[in-house]
Amino acid sequence: MRHLITATVNGRERELSVKSNQTLLDVLRDDLRLKGTHEGCSVGVCGSCTVLVDGKPVSSCLMLASNAEGRDVLTIEGLSRDGNLDPVQQAFLDHQAFQCGFCTPGMIMAVKGLLNENPKPDQVEVRDYLSGNICRCGTYVEVMAAIEDLAAKGQ
Amino acid sequence: MSAVGSDVPRVDGNAKVSGSAQYTADIELPGMLHAKALRSPHPHAKLVSVDVSKAAALPGVIAVVTRDDLEGLNPYYGAVVEDQPVLAMERVRCVGDVVAAVAAEEREIAEEAVELIEVEYEPLPAVFDVVEAAAPEAPIIHEERFETQAAIFREQLNLNAGGNVCSVFRAGDGDVDAGFAEADGIFENTYRMPPVQHGHIEPHVATAVWESPNRLVVHTPCQNAVGLQEQLARIFNLPESGVRVVVPHVGGGYGGKTHARLEPVTALLARKAGRPVQWVLTREEVFLTGRRYGGFVRMKTGFKRDGSLVAREVEVFYDLGAYALSGPANAKTGSYVASGPYRVPNRRLTTYAVYTNLPPAGPYRGVGVPHVAWAYESEMDRIARHLRMDPLELRLKNLLQEGDIFVTGESLVSVGISDCLRQAAAGIGWRGREEQADGATEGSLRRGKGLAVIMKSTTTPTASAASVRLNGDGSVMLLTSSTEMGQGVRTCLAQIVAEGLGFPVERVTVSAPDTDVTPYDKSTSSSRTTFHMGNAALRAAEEVRDQLLEAGARALEVDKADLELAATGVSVRGVPDRSLTIPQLLRVKYGDAVGSIFGSCNFQVKGGLDPKTGKGKAAAFWFFAACAAEVEVDAETGKVRVLDIATSVDVGKAINPLQCWLQNEGSMLEALGAAFFEEMVFEQGQPVNGTLLEYMLPSMEDHPERFQSLLVETPHPDGPFGAKGAGEAVIPAVAPAIGNAVANALGGVNITELPLRPERIVAALAERAAGASRDK
Repeated sequence: MRHLITATVNGRERELSVKSNQTLLDVLRDDLRLKGTHEGCSVGVCGSCTVLVDGKPVSSCLMLASNAEGRDVLTIEGLSRDGNLDPVQQAFLDHQAFQCGFCTPGMIMAVKGLLNENPKPDQVEVRDYLSGNICRCGTYVEVMAAIEDLAAKGQ
Repeated sequence: MSAVGSDVPRVDGNAKVSGSAQYTADIELPGMLHAKALRSPHPHAKLVSVDVSKAAALPGVIAVVTRDDLEGLNPYYGAVVEDQPVLAMERVRCVGDVVAAVAAEEREIAEEAVELIEVEYEPLPAVFDVVEAAAPEAPIIHEERFETQAAIFREQLNLNAGGNVCSVFRAGDGDVDAGFAEADGIFENTYRMPPVQHGHIEPHVATAVWESPNRLVVHTPCQNAVGLQEQLARIFNLPESGVRVVVPHVGGGYGGKTHARLEPVTALLARKAGRPVQWVLTREEVFLTGRRYGGFVRMKTGFKRDGSLVAREVEVFYDLGAYALSGPANAKTGSYVASGPYRVPNRRLTTYAVYTNLPPAGPYRGVGVPHVAWAYESEMDRIARHLRMDPLELRLKNLLQEGDIFVTGESLVSVGISDCLRQAAAGIGWRGREEQADGATEGSLRRGKGLAVIMKSTTTPTASAASVRLNGDGSVMLLTSSTEMGQGVRTCLAQIVAEGLGFPVERVTVSAPDTDVTPYDKSTSSSRTTFHMGNAALRAAEEVRDQLLEAGARALEVDKADLELAATGVSVRGVPDRSLTIPQLLRVKYGDAVGSIFGSCNFQVKGGLDPKTGKGKAAAFWFFAACAAEVEVDAETGKVRVLDIATSVDVGKAINPLQCWLQNEGSMLEALGAAFFEEMVFEQGQPVNGTLLEYMLPSMEDHPERFQSLLVETPHPDGPFGAKGAGEAVIPAVAPAIGNAVANALGGVNITELPLRPERIVAALAERAAGASRDK
């Protein structure tokens, strides 16, 4: 069964024909070819597929695409504006807060979500909030430093 | 030096933070099909029949492959022993063995088709425990053995040891019995380490397409493009040049992507379908596809009253699972370091690589070393406690020194191990002998510190080749088959090439592996790349440099030594007016201002061990590392908190100190996971915790409150700018440092089996309490 839904994806309103069992992740990757969102575990625990839905981080592998009706979806591809990196992306670059990069888009989206909710998180809040975004390369200290930097700059 | 030794930003940064980095699963080829496999539910069974007719008839299914499709091909492959069939042949040997595979227009169709395949199995007796599997009466897992094609392994390993023992390796020195006879004390214990996951967040994935019947193109996140090319060529009866392996961005490897895993089946499906096929494993399938060897260690140590080690006998059993991959070579890597980085005059060290009916294992950061380090470093602390010696002093007293002759007979160079240990110990404020005295307790909370120190070889002999190409605008391309999988190799090699030429790093681009273009490399493993490929890249760059200087010297009529090279061209030292641009130099060299200047190098390290004696040259370089940790243990709940952890690695020379830090941080965290909670559990060969819901990977919350990555730089005479390797060094030292810290916190309660789960700690405490009350 297919549904026709309307959702905003990276600032653009899209009309999408989605299968009833299709995840948001599959629609992003397979139909919209937004390949920057990655699949790691398919059970919502690794965080690689994190996108923002109405400003809040969501594991797109767990969310049915049909539930995106009328909502605002932001992926890693929608972050940069006019060729300029988003401050979070820039902070990840400045702090070299990545290694293999596979979890990085999801991690960056989760950090966006965190700072949306709490512009000045302390370390305990950071660790708690990002505990669902696994970086097997173990680049956590640098991610925490990037967040500290962003919080200090008020971004 | 400018490019080398500084925290040059990663060359792949922008692609990775912007989401534009292309990983294998992001590739879509026109007409591409999706694959799904039917896997064995049995740990060991005869494969009686496979009927795919219903699956093949399902609309949307383009190809189904089984063992019948391997006719005329070489169905078995393997890095050391050719024991792994592309698809199950006469039997299955583990849960997850691939019996058949489907390629269909859509993933869902492929999944549905797999359900329609009918298979008849005849279950066979199976064996799961590595020690039981090594016994002569165990069910035999491989009736036939297939000789390796690789001469180096035939010459350097004792393969076909008998039964399920795939290989055995022995190293030794002196007279072990006499050594034990003169010992003042003898300790004998056994240690266990379970299988764990590599945990690369990018699953195994491959895309294959046949451009013609003699031309296969595979995209895969492989750490070993050339090795895979060789294996695929052999399976499909093609020349190596008939197989092109391309490696896009890689979402983590840690050893798990060193060997062919799903590429042969994907290629077989694409061949039958006549269309491109992509196969992305589910996480559950990743759990059935690779892991670290489980291990069992028996260790007997004789020591003198003054703490000197006089004799050590070690037996190690590595559980390969159903197929060997590089297991025999990895077990060899564990053998000669099984007595630790210590002077032990009398020792007998034996490692066995043993088949079991568990899913296949493979190399994982540290390969065979974590298993033996867990044992020998735990033993060192027990000996220190027994002798009332400072564990640090006991280690320093016995540690190998520069120029020592190792058990392999080779002289050790660039041995910064004592410095590593001192530095790590100082990093957590190690106070000496009192660290083993009963510490302060606060309610049920106990604090303790622990140390560990390790050494590891890099695989030897091997070769790496590189080619450097200079363009007319002074930009440079390094062609290399080294895989960037997060460790920063592209940045590191760019720094080395830039340094060799005297160019800014930004002028240098480093290729990804593409076997059509990039030359031979043994593999991106064993922490060998900075040393081996770094040497090849540096020499290739120097060859380009020489050609430019020669052309300049000829045209400017000066001596080469009087010229300076920069990205703009050459100039006479101190006379900047007398200069030539790169296009002018090309004109001098070729008679025209266009063209490329090439430099190349095939860097080889000879050596290896005689499998009869265990003597020779085990390593192009050795790496040394230490870890020191402070923990707080709740004696009631068994919960452990890491308060402080310091790692130290002798990297020779840090080409990029920040990337060294990241390697150590990642190793530390992976090892912490394995120390505290990571463990693949099987029941009768069936995975019990085979998803990331049940099998936890360390998260940000598990990151220790304080962590230091310390470096020692003892230049290696053969390394590029003195550099060695860094990737794996920390891993083996972490679990024993934690184990010793826990033991010291609890006043000497040693736990011999990993992971240190709370219930295991509580049980060990209860056991000691019971023992103490019995003794009264």
